[in-house]
Amino acid sequence: MKKIIDALPLVVFALLIIVLFSFLSDKDDQLETALIDSSFPDFNLGALSDESRLLTKRDIIKLPALINVWATWCIACRVEHPFLMKLKEESRLTIYGLNYKDNKFKALELLERDGNPFEFSIYDFEGRLAIDLGVYGAPETFFIDKNGLIRERHVGVIDERVWEEKFSKYLNE
Amino acid sequence: MIPEFGHLILIVHLILSLLGGTLPLLAVYGNYRSLEISLKKLSFMLFILITISFLSLIYSFLVDDFSVAYVAQNSNINLPVYYKLAATWGAHEGSLVLWILAMNAWLIGFIFFTHSKDKDFLSTVFSISCQVIFAFSLFTLFTSNPFERILPIPPLNGADLNPSLQDFAFTVHPPLLYFGYSGLLIPFAIAVAAILFKKDTREWASYSRPWTLLSCSFLTLGIALGSWWAYYELGWGGWWFWDPVENAAFVPWLLSVALFHSLITSQNRGVFGKWSILLSIFAFATSLLGTFLVRSGILTSVHAFALDPERGVFLLAILAFFVIGSLFIYSITDFGHVEENKYELTSKEFGFLLNNLLLVVLAISILFGTIFPLIYEAFTGGKQISVGAPYFEIILFPFALALGLLQGVALYLSWGKSSSFDFLPRLLIESLSIFSLIILILFVLFDNLYLSSFATIFLASWILMGTLQITKKRNLSYWNFLRKRLAVTFAHAGMAILIIGVGVVSSYSLEKEIILAPGDSTEFSDQTINFQSIDDLLGPNYTSKSAVVSFDDGGELSNIVTEKRTYLPSGQITTEAGIQADLFKDLYVSIGDNLQSNIWSFKVQIKPFIRWIWLGALLIAIGSFLAGVRQFKRR
Repeated sequence: MKKIIDALPLVVFALLIIVLFSFLSDKDDQLETALIDSSFPDFNLGALSDESRLLTKRDIIKLPALINVWATWCIACRVEHPFLMKLKEESRLTIYGLNYKDNKFKALELLERDGNPFEFSIYDFEGRLAIDLGVYGAPETFFIDKNGLIRERHVGVIDERVWEEKFSKYLNE
Repeated sequence: MIPEFGHLILIVHLILSLLGGTLPLLAVYGNYRSLEISLKKLSFMLFILITISFLSLIYSFLVDDFSVAYVAQNSNINLPVYYKLAATWGAHEGSLVLWILAMNAWLIGFIFFTHSKDKDFLSTVFSISCQVIFAFSLFTLFTSNPFERILPIPPLNGADLNPSLQDFAFTVHPPLLYFGYSGLLIPFAIAVAAILFKKDTREWASYSRPWTLLSCSFLTLGIALGSWWAYYELGWGGWWFWDPVENAAFVPWLLSVALFHSLITSQNRGVFGKWSILLSIFAFATSLLGTFLVRSGILTSVHAFALDPERGVFLLAILAFFVIGSLFIYSITDFGHVEENKYELTSKEFGFLLNNLLLVVLAISILFGTIFPLIYEAFTGGKQISVGAPYFEIILFPFALALGLLQGVALYLSWGKSSSFDFLPRLLIESLSIFSLIILILFVLFDNLYLSSFATIFLASWILMGTLQITKKRNLSYWNFLRKRLAVTFAHAGMAILIIGVGVVSSYSLEKEIILAPGDSTEFSDQTINFQSIDDLLGPNYTSKSAVVSFDDGGELSNIVTEKRTYLPSGQITTEAGIQADLFKDLYVSIGDNLQSNIWSFKVQIKPFIRWIWLGALLIAIGSFLAGVRQFKRR
C-alpha cells in the first residue's frame, strides 16, 4: 500500500506528460489538414451588432477575406487588434469577426472604443461555428481566398511577421 | 566577431556544465575520488562564462549588429538605448540566456553560503543543478540560438522591439520572474539529493529554506510587476486576467509559498519530510511547465512567444526527464520507518498542514483550469472549450477565505501541543474594530458602501490583527516582539493589504465611455472631466496623438496625458493610458477613437485602492526576502 502511494505522484505526472506530448505531436497536423482547401462551413447565427439579423455563409461575400476569432476575455486579441485595424486600412482584404463565447455588450463596447476592423462580427455565444471550424481558442485567424476556400489558418496573435510568413502570399495570387 | 565569441563561450559553458553534472557524481558514487573538483571554483567559472556570453549579446544590441538575427528581430536603430539593453531579454532566445545566468547565480549562492560537512551531499546537489543548467544550455544552443547570423546580407535596420514591451515595468518584470522561477532549481536539487542520501529532514530543510524564500520573493515581485504593467499598458484598467501565462506563474508561486511553510515545520519539528520533498519537486516542475506552456505555443496568450513545435518537444523532454526521474527515485526509495513527532489537532503543525493542503489544492485547481482545454480536446478528439475568469474566481474565493481565516489564527498556535483558543474573542473584537474603521474611511472617501466588499475587508482585518497580535502576552515589549517577527509581519500584513486592495477595487471601481471635443467637459462621479487639448508629438521611435484631459473634483485639478502612439518601424499602434496615481484612488483615462475631425472617445475610470494590491505584494516580497536572508544569519 505504501509503495502505491509513493508511486502515485509519478503516475499522475507521467500521465500529464503523455497528454501534453500527444497534444504537441498531432496539434499541427490536425490544424493544418482539417479544413485547408475546403469551403467555409455552413452556419446560421446572429450578428453581434444586431442578433436579429441572421447571418449565413452567403453573407461572406467580399473576398478574399480573413475570419478572425476574437473575444473580449482574450487579451491576446487586444494585442492583435491594432494590427487588424492597420490591415483593414491598408489592404484590399475584408475582415470578418467571429465573436466567440463572449459578453455581447462588452464586445460592442470594445469595438466602439478601440475601433472596428470587421465588416461584421458573427456572434457565436455557444461556440457552434467555432466547433465546426475546429477553433482551438481565441485568437485564431483563417484566410479565405477569392473562391471561398479556406487556405490558411493561424492560431495565436497575428502580427506583421505572421502576416508576411503565412498569409500575404495568398493575397497576391 | 563578438557574437561568435559569445556563441563560443556559450558552448564552453555547455561542456563545463556537463562536466559539473557528471564528475562530482562519479566521484561520489563511483568512488573515483581523483575526480573530485572544487565546487566553488567550478560554479564560479560557469557563472563567469554565462555572464560573458550574455554581455556579448547585450553588446550586439547596443551596437545595432543587425546581422545577428535575434537583434534584427527585436531591436531597431531608433530604439532608445535603455530599451536596446532590455530587448536582450525581450524575446525567447535572449531570455533563455538570462534564465541560465539566473540558475548559475543561484547555484553559486548555494555553494558559497551552504555550510555543510557532508561534501558528498553538496556535490550531488551541485551535480543535479548542473544537469538542469546543461539541459537548458543545450536547448538554447540547438533550438534557440541567440547568436545566429543573417548572412551574407544582413538587414539594414531591425524590426523593432514589440512596442508594448517598451516600458519600464516590462524591462524589469522578466528578469525578476526568471530569477524567481530558476531559484526553485535549488530546492529541487536539494530534495533529490535528500532522497538519494536519505538525509535527516531537519538538516536538508534548513539548507533549502533560504533559497525557497528568496525565489518566492522574486516570484512575488515579478508577478506584481507584470500585473502593474498590464494595468497601465493594455489600456484596460484590469490588473489580473487569468491568462494562461499568469496562471503559469501563479501556480509555482502558490507551491513555493506552500513549500517554505512546510519547510519551517520540517526544519523545526522533523515532520512532513516526504511532503516537503514532493513539494520541492512539483514547485520546480510547475515552473518548467509554465515555461513549456508559454514557449511551445500550446496555449495562446498575450505572452506567447514565436511558435515552434520543436522547442515544445525539447522543453517537454527536459521536464519529463528531470521530474519523472526524480519522482521515480522517490517512489523506489524506502525511507524506512519515518520518525514523526506527534502533534495535536490544534497545534502549529496542524495549522501548517492545513495551509499546505489548501495551497496545493488551489494550485492544482488553477493548473487544471489552465490545461483543461488541452485535456478536454485530447479526450474528445478535437472538440474545444475554453476556461475563463469566472471559473478561476469561483475556485479562488473559498480557498482564499479559508486560507485567510487560518492565517489570522496561525501565529497564535504553538508547536506540538494543542493551543487554547481564548484569544479568539479578543481577535474578533479587534478585527471588527479595524473592519469598521476601514468601512468608515471608505464611506468618507467615496460616499458609498458596497456590501460585496465587506467579506474581503473583514478577512483582511482579521489577517492584519492576527499578524500584529496585539493581544499576545509575552515577556518582550510589543515593539521588540514585532521586530523579532519582522519578516512574517511584513509578509502577512502585506497579504492583508493586498486583500483590502482587491476587495475595494473590485467593488468601488467606476468606468465610463465619454465622447468629447477639445474644450468640452462632462460629469463623471464627482469629477468634472475636461478635454483640454490634443497635440501631435514625436517620440524617439514613434509619433503620437497626445491628449490632455483634466479631472476636477471641486478642489483639486489634475491634468492627465493619454497618448495613442504609432511606432514607426512596425506601424503598431498602442494606447498609453494616463494615470493619476494616489494611495486611495487612481484616476485613469485612455484615449479611444477619433470619431470625427476633432472629436475623440475616451474611457475614464476611477480605481480606488488599486495601489494597495501592489503595495501588499511588495510587502510580501520584502517579508520573504528578509526571512530568506535571516536564514543565513542564523548559522
